[in-house]
Amino acid sequence: MIELLKLCGFEEREIESELPRVEKAFNKLGITEEDIERGKQRLTRYFDVEFKGVRKALRLCVMEFANGVVAKEVGKKKVLAGFMAPGLDVVGSAAVSKSGEVFSAHHSWAFLLVASRIFNKAVPVLEAAERKWLKAGAVTHCANVKSFLGEFALDLVSKPDLIITSGYACETAPKTLDLLHEFYNIPLCCYDTCQDMDLSEDRYATKRAVDLSAKSIRKLVERIQDIVDFEITDKMLWEVINARGKMRIASGKVRKLVESSDPLPVSSTNDALWACLNTLTMSIEETDEAVDAINTFYEELQERVANGKGVVEKGAPRVLTYCPPNYPDPTPEYVIAQSGIAVVATSFGTSLPEEKLYPLPKTGLKDPYEAMALSRQRTSNNQNLRQRNRMIIEECKRLNVDGVLDRYHIGCRALAGDALLLEEAVKKELGIPVLLMEWENFDPRMYKQGGFERRLDVFKSMMTRKSG
Amino acid sequence: MQEERLAIHLRDRPAQLREAKKNGIKIIGYFPGNYVPEELIYASGAVPLCLVHGGSSQPADAALTVVPHVICPFARAQIGERLLKNPYYSMIDMLVAPITCQHLKKVAEVWEYYGDLEMFKLGIPHQHDNDFELEYFTDRLRALKDRLQTFTGNEITDEKISEAIELYNRMRELLRKISSLRRTSPSPVSALDFVKLNHASFYADPAFMVEVLDSIYQELKDKQPTVKTDVPRILLAGPNIGYGDYTVLELVKAAGGEIVIEEICEGIRYYWNKIESKGDLFKSLARGYLVDRVPCAFMRNSAKKRLDFTLKLIEDFNVSGVIWYELLCCETYDSESYYFAQKMGEQNIPVLILESDYGTSATGQLKTRIEAFIEILKGEIE
Repeated sequence: MIELLKLCGFEEREIESELPRVEKAFNKLGITEEDIERGKQRLTRYFDVEFKGVRKALRLCVMEFANGVVAKEVGKKKVLAGFMAPGLDVVGSAAVSKSGEVFSAHHSWAFLLVASRIFNKAVPVLEAAERKWLKAGAVTHCANVKSFLGEFALDLVSKPDLIITSGYACETAPKTLDLLHEFYNIPLCCYDTCQDMDLSEDRYATKRAVDLSAKSIRKLVERIQDIVDFEITDKMLWEVINARGKMRIASGKVRKLVESSDPLPVSSTNDALWACLNTLTMSIEETDEAVDAINTFYEELQERVANGKGVVEKGAPRVLTYCPPNYPDPTPEYVIAQSGIAVVATSFGTSLPEEKLYPLPKTGLKDPYEAMALSRQRTSNNQNLRQRNRMIIEECKRLNVDGVLDRYHIGCRALAGDALLLEEAVKKELGIPVLLMEWENFDPRMYKQGGFERRLDVFKSMMTRKSG
Repeated sequence: MQEERLAIHLRDRPAQLREAKKNGIKIIGYFPGNYVPEELIYASGAVPLCLVHGGSSQPADAALTVVPHVICPFARAQIGERLLKNPYYSMIDMLVAPITCQHLKKVAEVWEYYGDLEMFKLGIPHQHDNDFELEYFTDRLRALKDRLQTFTGNEITDEKISEAIELYNRMRELLRKISSLRRTSPSPVSALDFVKLNHASFYADPAFMVEVLDSIYQELKDKQPTVKTDVPRILLAGPNIGYGDYTVLELVKAAGGEIVIEEICEGIRYYWNKIESKGDLFKSLARGYLVDRVPCAFMRNSAKKRLDFTLKLIEDFNVSGVIWYELLCCETYDSESYYFAQKMGEQNIPVLILESDYGTSATGQLKTRIEAFIEILKGEIE
């Protein structure tokens, strides 16, 4: 266990103080000695743990996972649990920065990363959800939502005082939380917007949708204030937004470095870690630690680039992947790198240029609620299909990729629904191959390595032929 | 007699609409779910047409070239009917797409993607506990009015909207009255006939439809049940009954059961409420279509509200069992089927959950399950 924690960036001196809490959480999850050994192997194989920056990021994720499992047992008086709740990272961070008695988490990213990606323990959690209302089979419920329900069904997490969700891109999450409220008697708060912009409006976000979202988030904050019993001021929210802005800037530097380096310096197996880090509900102090983790990683990566080291050969076919990585299972990303394909970027929730946002913020936004709403509205997955395809095509051009791998998450109607027309649009405009992979981003049972490898081989040879 | 008149009207309706188009009248389609106020379309001088075809695998399969199988068969059918050039789907000049569930939202995006049709996306706030959500919907209805005026070139006055509300109120009232006749046993109208009548109201000329419904109601209300019956009385619940999706209705009837009431989101015109036709008409339309109704499953916190409404229907219509009919890949209703089955179970109300992807291969299995369910209900009645 100590060795595993060291691989996850825990310093000698803090292991003593943190070990009981982490152990308690691992025990609750049923992690055995054998699992610890497997975890160590997976960490070494699938994460670049030789980078100090990666270890620092892992530490923050493990901490949030452990706190989420045992929050009430270790003295947290108020627990907020969000799911598919963008913006809660800011609001929750403001609450935990103000009071050590509050725990807030945006499940289930840290849970998935630790329980599944490190320990390969996703399946029992998914099966528990399938015994409830997210059944297995042709209906194809999202396994991400299943993992959230499964945590409750198996009593793996502290019972929250409020569960929070939004319906920005999903109906399964709000429905599941509605039923959690009905069956488990947990108070629920949903916040929403309307994605009703049509092509005639020719912009990336409408003021009306942002305003609706901002008002809805304000209601959420009022609800949280009632629970935590203190005020969450605009100033507190801005402090978090600004702190998290530093994370975005740091991540942007890493992204640019990866995109512009040949050979590709790092495998996309790490993507899930950075995505997870971005969703953690950290205090300001922890957010600074996250910034430090990313900056450390950036410096280490620069060194690797300078030494000409890469995870694939120089000149390997460059690929843009669409949709997030397979969360509980790092094998698919690992296999991509092994096949000699360079994943230079993952386009999901790509932020947009400013020029088509509704009235341009000339002097900067003053209302933190508007800022939170806008940051969500301006991402690619909130656009209409035609705009989304356009953005991905532009991204392909900018990155000069040889192909697109759309590993579409079949449990998500919004994402999966685009796949065929995205393929058509990219092929028509850019003439590059598109590999469509129908899979479940959160269910390791759906991944079949043999078939995946064969399809990657064909995909690679199509790209090589095209560029050669 | 009235049924025959209606059948002739529906047979001639596409030709009639094509003729209207030639004379400059716009045909404006919209997706079902009862979130688009037809009153506004009607008041603009255009013809409102609810696109509600479903039940056939051919259009649903045709859409698989465009969207994957996880989009529900009804939503896929809305793409497929257009690809296959269904006359109604081909004649519309503009589409009002309510942004409801992810499936119909995707259909709107696909239609929009092809870019050959004027479209208005009508944002439906997925909850309405706060004033600002109702205000949002009200504002979007005003925006829809502006778009309709520009598109049709006709001014939409309050007077015209008020008249349209009254016309549609009358239609809803007559459907409610006819439906309510099914409280008696045996029902004077079968579920199949009622659903077909309801579907006809989406395509027929509304004034003509009101006239037909009124005559049918007059005929039925005096028709006293002659024989007492112990046929199991069933409530049909679920997301959707498309125009043509009649297999379950037919199988229940053939198996000796009687569906006496439906609690369906899409495909059945919502007829339980009236819209206020005076005062601020946009506010009353917004209230009527968003607030004063039973919410569909995509709405937030909707499960309990619909369960309570369903339990009330079970009591009012003296129902002995529930058939939950859902379409494959409809994730919200599938989740709720568990909740409903649990809650009904607590009250000893038998529930049969059926799924369909519109394929005919599963009909045999559906038949067996429905027959077995009805046998169980009969056993309980005895």
